[in-house]
Amino acid sequence: MSTYSSDRRSLLKIFGAIGATCAYPFASDELYGQTTAPLPETAPHFFNKSDFAVISHLVGLIIPETDSVGAVRAGVPEYIDMVIARNAEQQAVVADGLHWLAAKNFMQLDDAAQYALLEPLCEAADSGNLRARNVQFFALVKNLTADGYYTSRTGLIDELGYKGNTPHTGFPECREH
Amino acid sequence: MAGKLYDVVVIGSGAGGGTLSARLAHLGADVLVLEGGPKIDTRTDFNTHALPFQFPSRHIPIMKPGKPGFDGERSRGLGGKTQLWNAVALRFSERDFKGRQYDGVGQDWPFGYAEMAPYYDRIEREVGVCGNYDHLEDLPDGIFLPPVPLKCTDRAIQDGARTLGVPVIHVRKATLSRPKAARPACHFCGNCMSGCDVVAKYNSLDVQMTPALKTGKLTLQSNSIVYELAVSDEARVNEIRYFDRETRAQNVARGKVIVVACACAQSVALLLMSKSSRFPAGLANSSGELGKNFVPHINAGFEAFLTDFIGKPSNDDEGFLDHAYIPSFMHTKKRDYSRSFGIQFNYQNRRSVGWAKNVKGMGKSYKEAIKARYPAYLTFTPYQEMLPNSDSYIDLDPKATDEYGLPRARRHWKLSESDMRLYDDMKKWCCAILEASKAEIVNRDPAPMTNHEIGGCRMGTDPKTSVVNQYCRAHDVPNLYVVDASVFPSSSEKNPTLTIMALATRTADHIASQLQKGDA
Repeated sequence: MSTYSSDRRSLLKIFGAIGATCAYPFASDELYGQTTAPLPETAPHFFNKSDFAVISHLVGLIIPETDSVGAVRAGVPEYIDMVIARNAEQQAVVADGLHWLAAKNFMQLDDAAQYALLEPLCEAADSGNLRARNVQFFALVKNLTADGYYTSRTGLIDELGYKGNTPHTGFPECREH
Repeated sequence: MAGKLYDVVVIGSGAGGGTLSARLAHLGADVLVLEGGPKIDTRTDFNTHALPFQFPSRHIPIMKPGKPGFDGERSRGLGGKTQLWNAVALRFSERDFKGRQYDGVGQDWPFGYAEMAPYYDRIEREVGVCGNYDHLEDLPDGIFLPPVPLKCTDRAIQDGARTLGVPVIHVRKATLSRPKAARPACHFCGNCMSGCDVVAKYNSLDVQMTPALKTGKLTLQSNSIVYELAVSDEARVNEIRYFDRETRAQNVARGKVIVVACACAQSVALLLMSKSSRFPAGLANSSGELGKNFVPHINAGFEAFLTDFIGKPSNDDEGFLDHAYIPSFMHTKKRDYSRSFGIQFNYQNRRSVGWAKNVKGMGKSYKEAIKARYPAYLTFTPYQEMLPNSDSYIDLDPKATDEYGLPRARRHWKLSESDMRLYDDMKKWCCAILEASKAEIVNRDPAPMTNHEIGGCRMGTDPKTSVVNQYCRAHDVPNLYVVDASVFPSSSEKNPTLTIMALATRTADHIASQLQKGDA
């Protein structure tokens, strides 16, 4: 018998599954959409003002304003505030991450120094090397930023150009391939 | 209500219960359907067209605000999972029914393809299945409406797979490509797996049960959660005990024939909960086989970007979800494992961008990379058949109960060495096909996952090693039938629903003839 069995399913939950439910609503979404409670009217609700400013700044570094609107103006910090408020495990990760950034005087650094500090964390997070606490923190903020931005009207419609939900009399034959 | 003796009481209203109850009503039987979930109005109850930003949490709920249903295994709603399925409708082949005859392992069905073919014909005519006539040995053709054209991204996979000798065909789905009766053809709008509000996609409520109400023979009773089947001294089910989902008020129903069609694990759970002095280990379980032989589909998931489509304009291809399918191609090849796999792919909907977090980097280049990849993203998920083994079974959790205080069904599964070799080979083929299609893989499931629950009430001729006979009737209980994928002796690698429906039609005909003979 192999080592793969139902006993491992709880472990897998941290990674999420692709396609088990055929892309509804997200392909791998363990950190995503954990509540259906309404967004608090005045954010931040969970973070204090200075922590919220740091989180907002990180969000802006991950998905910045370019020739299109970035994640801060798309309301992602408020979304993150709402998600974190409902998850004790993530609250601890964020608290440790903010503490680590404070020790580095993060908010006083210039843009280049901030990127230099974050890029190794980003690389580790992207390669799935999540052992270090500060990498867990970065991965969490990046995941929530991506989810929050690309589920916003700004991200999905304006940035990506989502075109579904339009009736067609037939599906067009592919003419390019 | 408790006073009336129905000809047939059906528990569950999905592909099995919906097909069977409507058929029996048309054949003149007096039928009661007990559905644990609420009434559903397919046209207005689902969030078919919703977008994530309409919800503060960005999670699109299945139902519109204030509408109950689909919030738990015992409370899905009329139509069951056919309301949310992806409609892939594949016939099993002779090899799927008689695998043991080919490779000497697993269990065969008591009958082969020739027995099932007329029932497949009838169900395809009844509900409408689109597809191409591909003349494949391991995927029999049916009676098809014209197929839906492939997407350009499907063509890319088709071209890549062709270099490896792997055919890509049009998917076969119980979704209309042409209007049929009062139902319109699919107009490629909305997320099929959030309910099809125009019923171009088959669901058992609108396509079968609602029309059958005109016979005056069918009664649909929602919000009725069955928790026990009580038996008489003659080992016949004489009372169906249920409670109201909302008020919890208890009630009973009675029928000459009882059909359990609660979808695999829930059917097994109901029988296991129905203990009596006659059946101390669960109803119809004198063999001790109830719950065993659990053979869910095992799948491996990939997410990838087709490099030819990176940077192309955003496309509008999410309606109908997947248009193509890669049928089993290993059955006839030399290999060091039993059975095979098939691949569903390109079934993502474009309102979901969960993959964005897996794209490397941060900042401007990250944002640009995601925009460029949006039209190039696709899902790729192979499904394999697993063989039954003693470590794979369904039982009741001795401690955990659900929101109704009933024991939860637990699924246990473990892959054999042969299953693992198949799994590894299946992943290898997926990577090869994606690579040949110039796709870059962005994410993959790190370990096997399950989908499509199958087995637990195995059908067979020997009462010592199976739970139901070849007509889905319990060996131990002459007026009890089970009609869902739990009775499948083997799973095939193909999606089970069309076979559930064909089997439900066959069982309905059998029950009707028994009722006519006064034998039920």
